Amino acid sequence: MNSAPLTYQIIDHTADLGIIVEGPDVRHLFMNAARAMIDLMVEGDISERIAIRDVLVKGEDFPDLMVRWLGEILYLFEGENLIVNSIEIKSISPIQLKSTLTLTSFDPKRHQVLREIKAVTYHQISVNKVNDGWEATVIFDI
Amino acid sequence: MDFEIKKIDEWRFLIPKAGAMRVPGLIFSSSELMPNIKDDQSLQQVVNVATLPGIVKHALAMPDIHWGYGFPIGGVAAFTMENGIISPGGVGYDINCGVRLLTTSLLANEIRPKIKELISALFKAIPTGVGSRGRIRLSRGEEKKVAVQGASWAVKKGLGTKEDLERTEDHGAMQGADPSVVSDRAFKRGHDQLGTLGSGNHFLEIQAVDEIYDQKIADAFYLFEGQLAVLIHSGSRGFGHQICDDFLKEMGTHVKGLGFNLPDRQLACAYIKSNMGKRYLSGMACAANYAWANRQIIMHWTRETFEKVLGINPSDLNMEPLYDVCHNIAKLETHVVDGKKLALCVHRKGATRSLPPGHPDVPERYRKVGQPVLIPGDMGTCSYVLAGSQKAMEETFGSTCHGAGRVLSRKQAIKAAKGRAISRELEDKGIIVQSRGKTTLKEEISEAYKDVSLVVEAVHMAGLAKKVARLRPLGVIKG
Repeated sequence: MNSAPLTYQIIDHTADLGIIVEGPDVRHLFMNAARAMIDLMVEGDISERIAIRDVLVKGEDFPDLMVRWLGEILYLFEGENLIVNSIEIKSISPIQLKSTLTLTSFDPKRHQVLREIKAVTYHQISVNKVNDGWEATVIFDI
Repeated sequence: MDFEIKKIDEWRFLIPKAGAMRVPGLIFSSSELMPNIKDDQSLQQVVNVATLPGIVKHALAMPDIHWGYGFPIGGVAAFTMENGIISPGGVGYDINCGVRLLTTSLLANEIRPKIKELISALFKAIPTGVGSRGRIRLSRGEEKKVAVQGASWAVKKGLGTKEDLERTEDHGAMQGADPSVVSDRAFKRGHDQLGTLGSGNHFLEIQAVDEIYDQKIADAFYLFEGQLAVLIHSGSRGFGHQICDDFLKEMGTHVKGLGFNLPDRQLACAYIKSNMGKRYLSGMACAANYAWANRQIIMHWTRETFEKVLGINPSDLNMEPLYDVCHNIAKLETHVVDGKKLALCVHRKGATRSLPPGHPDVPERYRKVGQPVLIPGDMGTCSYVLAGSQKAMEETFGSTCHGAGRVLSRKQAIKAAKGRAISRELEDKGIIVQSRGKTTLKEEISEAYKDVSLVVEAVHMAGLAKKVARLRPLGVIKG
């Protein structure tokens, strides 16, 4: 499910860091956004699977859902030292996302932290249907 | 840009009230700094802040203003307690991010041969960067005490002295902190991060005082030319980030029922008098206190490291905080507006308090000369010490700038640093650097920042603070 090559654009924001990410449908858009965020945070071998967790996120609309979803992934890393290595989104609507995540433990010997993301911001957040798929813009506080 | 900018004088620019703005915008800057400011979206953010309910006088921007999220960084705005709002986005994720300057009795020239050893020892003693966990593990009960007691928690644990607290803004503890409004997640993120520097623009620098501009104030601050000093820049770590995040989400829903439109979702807010507003203020105070404890502990370990590496006793080292200021905070303060005393909530996001001589909140030892204002620059140039002024009370609710302010995005900085050995370049300039993150040094190159000297000149000339001394870096540790 996560084998498709990940592409995302980094956007210029003076203080922080933003991404523009795409997906053929909204489910893949949310998956790709999470993968892009992990890609910005950490590098190294994350293939070892030590836990599986069901994560349910509720929001008010797709942009709010995106901020809360990425906030969950960030919390797992910051609060519980867990890196998401594979994502299955079981269902998604503008107000709810159900997923199953497989996780690996952060290990400074195997993983290099690239940058600290403090938070996922609502600033200029957008999730839109474009001609041939879906596109989101997200700005992180670094 | 669909707003007008009028030059008032050399140092002040006005954005006249238009559209949904409730007050005009007022930018402190200079003709050299203004072009960069106009390049990003920060002035639009000043306009956005000016639309918020209860704002008084002006939506303000300091010369280090740059594009933030919601409020600009380098922004100051005051709202009436009566009908104004409080916004987590007006404080920022890193609640009570701030700086603490330590002075010593040492001469920089005498210590120069030891800088490499000191930096290496400090890098070991003070955990930096993400993924690194602190030397302290807090039980939930202790973490709640940190949230209420702030820096004095650390002092009670033997990590510092009572005198340190007298030289910390608010004595290192903001009143009104209530841990019951803080989420389980915030406590989890914070339980092993106390006494850690963090990453990004956070740093610890060994510096030398290289120029004195005002001898009388420098004497009161115990600053002298050639003196060795240490500057610590850190905040409330994941604990504060999570508290901001939690309240932004709650207020995003809450604000929809308040009957006014937000130009940016990141400006989510609540009326200060409301239960939601009060809860945020209590949670924010917890994070502010965590940050003061954090800088207190980092300072204590810095003292220990110097004593060990240099083999000297505490009285010969004489490492004392000059002051500790926060630059991301909302505070309840009284200010005179149009001749009337008003109770206000002053948001400073990337701005420093600048209290004048005689103000009761200035520590007694500095009361004759004004509050010390500490302005860090980037790792390759210099930092400044200034003193607070009466003009700041009159024009900016007692506020001034907080640093250099970025001019390049991180992406642009990495591009500019491509193929360069940044740490070697700095070493050639006599600055020893150790950093953890792979991209940190590239993202934090000097060219990524405005010239801090121009920023300081602008606040000095505008009268928002008075230049006292300049410090040059000798060694830096970064996350």
